[in-house]
Amino acid sequence: MANVTIDNVIKRYGSVQVMHGVSVDIEDGEFVVLVGPSGCGKSTLLRMLAGLEEISDGTISIGDRVVNDVLPKERDIAMVFQSYALYPHKTVYDNIGFPLKMAKRSQSEIDDKVTKAADILDLTKYLKRYPKELSGGQRQRVAMGRAIVRDPQVFLFDEPLSNLDAKLRVTMRIEIKELHQRLGTTIVYVTHDQIEAMTMADKIVVMRDGRVEQIGSPLDLYDNPDNVFVAGFIGSPSMNFVHGKIATEEGVRVFVSDSGLKLPLPETTARDGQEITYGIRPEHIQIGPGGVEMDVVVVEPTGSETQIFAKAGKDLIDALVKERINARPGSKLGFVINPADVHLFDRASEQRI
Amino acid sequence: MQSKRLGWILLAPTLVILFFFGVLPFFYVVFVSFHSWNPFAVNPEMVFNGADNFRQIVFDPAFLHSIGVTVMFVFFAVVSELILGYILAQAFMRDFPGKAIFRTIHTLPLIMAPIIVGSVWKLMTTPSIGIIPHYLDEWFGITMNIGTSAPAAFATIVLMDVWHWTPLVTLTLIAALVSLPPDPFEQAQIDGAGKRQIFWHITLPMIAPAVVATVFIRLMDALRTVDEVWMLTGGGPGSATRFVGVHIFKEVFPKTNYGYGSTISVIVLYLTIVSCWLLYVTMLAPRTKRD
Repeated sequence: MANVTIDNVIKRYGSVQVMHGVSVDIEDGEFVVLVGPSGCGKSTLLRMLAGLEEISDGTISIGDRVVNDVLPKERDIAMVFQSYALYPHKTVYDNIGFPLKMAKRSQSEIDDKVTKAADILDLTKYLKRYPKELSGGQRQRVAMGRAIVRDPQVFLFDEPLSNLDAKLRVTMRIEIKELHQRLGTTIVYVTHDQIEAMTMADKIVVMRDGRVEQIGSPLDLYDNPDNVFVAGFIGSPSMNFVHGKIATEEGVRVFVSDSGLKLPLPETTARDGQEITYGIRPEHIQIGPGGVEMDVVVVEPTGSETQIFAKAGKDLIDALVKERINARPGSKLGFVINPADVHLFDRASEQRI
Repeated sequence: MQSKRLGWILLAPTLVILFFFGVLPFFYVVFVSFHSWNPFAVNPEMVFNGADNFRQIVFDPAFLHSIGVTVMFVFFAVVSELILGYILAQAFMRDFPGKAIFRTIHTLPLIMAPIIVGSVWKLMTTPSIGIIPHYLDEWFGITMNIGTSAPAAFATIVLMDVWHWTPLVTLTLIAALVSLPPDPFEQAQIDGAGKRQIFWHITLPMIAPAVVATVFIRLMDALRTVDEVWMLTGGGPGSATRFVGVHIFKEVFPKTNYGYGSTISVIVLYLTIVSCWLLYVTMLAPRTKRD
C-alpha cells in the first residue's frame, strides 16, 4: 500500500499539449475516482500512472519513489482494463496466476493465491474455463482476480464497468467497493459515469480538457461545486442553469433572467447588474403554491419520483419531486425554490461566487 | 428450398472443375499406382501388379534418400522462413523512413514463377560466371561450386527458397499481428512480463493459428518443390538435392515409369496429409474449445 503523488504532470503528443499541469495527492488506502467527459485526459493520466504512457513533464511518485522512468512491471501496480484484457488462450486459473508466474513464484504459492482469489471472487467453479466461455461479469472478476493476487501497492481501474449491462454494473460496483474495504489498497478508478464516481469514491477528481476542475469528496462536490462545469457534471439529473442579472426591486434583491424570469436569491456579495449564471438542482425544487409560475412542457413519472420540465419565456427548468403530480402539458405549476439551495456563478468566468 | 437450389447452382462450376481436375486425377493416380505401366515401352499395356510397387518402395534406397533430403530441406527452409518472416513482420509493424517502398520491393519475389527463380539463381551461382561464387572467392577466398559440392548445392537451394517464400510468411504474420488487440500486451507489461516472456506467453499463442496456416502452406509447397531445384541443380551433385518431387519427376519422365512414379506420389501425398494432421492436432486442436 502506498500514497500516490501526481505533481504538475504535462503530456504532449508532438507539439500538441493534452495535459496541462495536473496535480493530485492520493492518500494511502484512498479510493480516488477520476471522472470527466470523454477526451478529458482521465485515461491518459491513469496510463501514465501505469507507465504505459510517457510523462512529458512533472513527476509521478508511488510511495516515496518517483516512477517517471520506471517500467510498468517494476511499479508494483495492478490494472484492470475496460476490455478486461484477458489472455484468450489461457484458462481462468492461468490468467489469474500469470503475474505470479512472471514473478517466478513457486507453484504451491501460485496455487494458494489463485485459489484464494477465486474464492473471494466466486470463480472457483470456473478455474478451468477459457475467457470465451465466461459471461461479461465473470470476465470482469477474472481481471480483478489477476489484479488481487499481486497484492500491489496501487490498483488502477480503467472504466471497468462500461461493458456491463446496467444491472450487473450496480452489482459489480458494490463488489469493487467491498473489495476495497477488505483489502484497504489504494485505488485509482477512471470513469465517465458520475454516479459511479459519487457512489464509490472517497475522493473525486473532476477533469476537463486535460485540467483538474475540482478535487473533493463526493458530497463536497455536490454541495459546493467550484464552477459551472463541476456543478453540471456532478448530480443526476444535472443542475438547471439560467443566465441573467442581479437586480434590486422594491428593496428586495432578486435574480432576473435574460427572458425576464424572476428567481429568489441567497445572501451574496454579487453586486446589482452583475451577469450571473444561476444554478438550482432539480431535486431542490418543490411544487406548490407561492412558487414561480411556469408552463409545464413534459411530465416524466418513474414511480418513485416525478420529473417535470417547465418553461418560462426561454428558460427551461427541470424539477424532480417525490410526489406524483398530474399536470398536463401547457398547465401552470408553482416552482418553489429555497434560496439556500441556489448556486451562483459568474457568467463570464463560470466560477462560483 | 429456392435458396438451397441456388446454392447448388452457384457451387456447380467449382464442383465440376474440382471433380475433373482434382478428384478424378487423384483416383486415377491411385489406380495407376497398383500397376506396372510404361506407355513408351515395347509393351505399353498397363499390368496390374498388386502391392508390388508399394513393396518395392519401402526398400528403395533412392526413394528413402529423397525423403531424407526433402525433410531436411523442408525443416531448414520453413524454420528460417518463419523466423525471418516474423522479424520482418515486426519491423513492418513499426514506422521507418522508406517503409512503403521497402515493403513493396520485399514482396516482389512472390510474383516470380519458380522456373524463373531457378534460372536466375543458376545464373548467379554458376562457377566462373555467377556473381555469388565470384565475390565469395574475391572477398573471402571461398570456392563455391554447386556442381560439385553437395553442402553448397543444398544450402543454395534452402537460401533460394527462403528468398522466394519469406515474403509470404511476412505478409500472413503482418495480417495476424495487426489484428491482435493491444490490451493483453499492455496488461502483460503490467503483470511483469518482459519482452521475451510476452513473445512466448502472449504473442505466439495469439498468432498461432496464422503461424500454423502458414506452415501448412509452406510445408505442402516445399514438399513438392520441383521446378526451382530442377533448374538449379537437376537434383545433383549426385543425389544431394534429389528431393522427392525431383525423384518422382525423374522416375516418370526420363524413365517413363508411370506406375512406380504414381506409387511414390501416393506415398508422398499420404506423408503430407499425416504431417499436416499431426501439426493440426498438436498446435490447433486444443484451441477449438477456447476460440
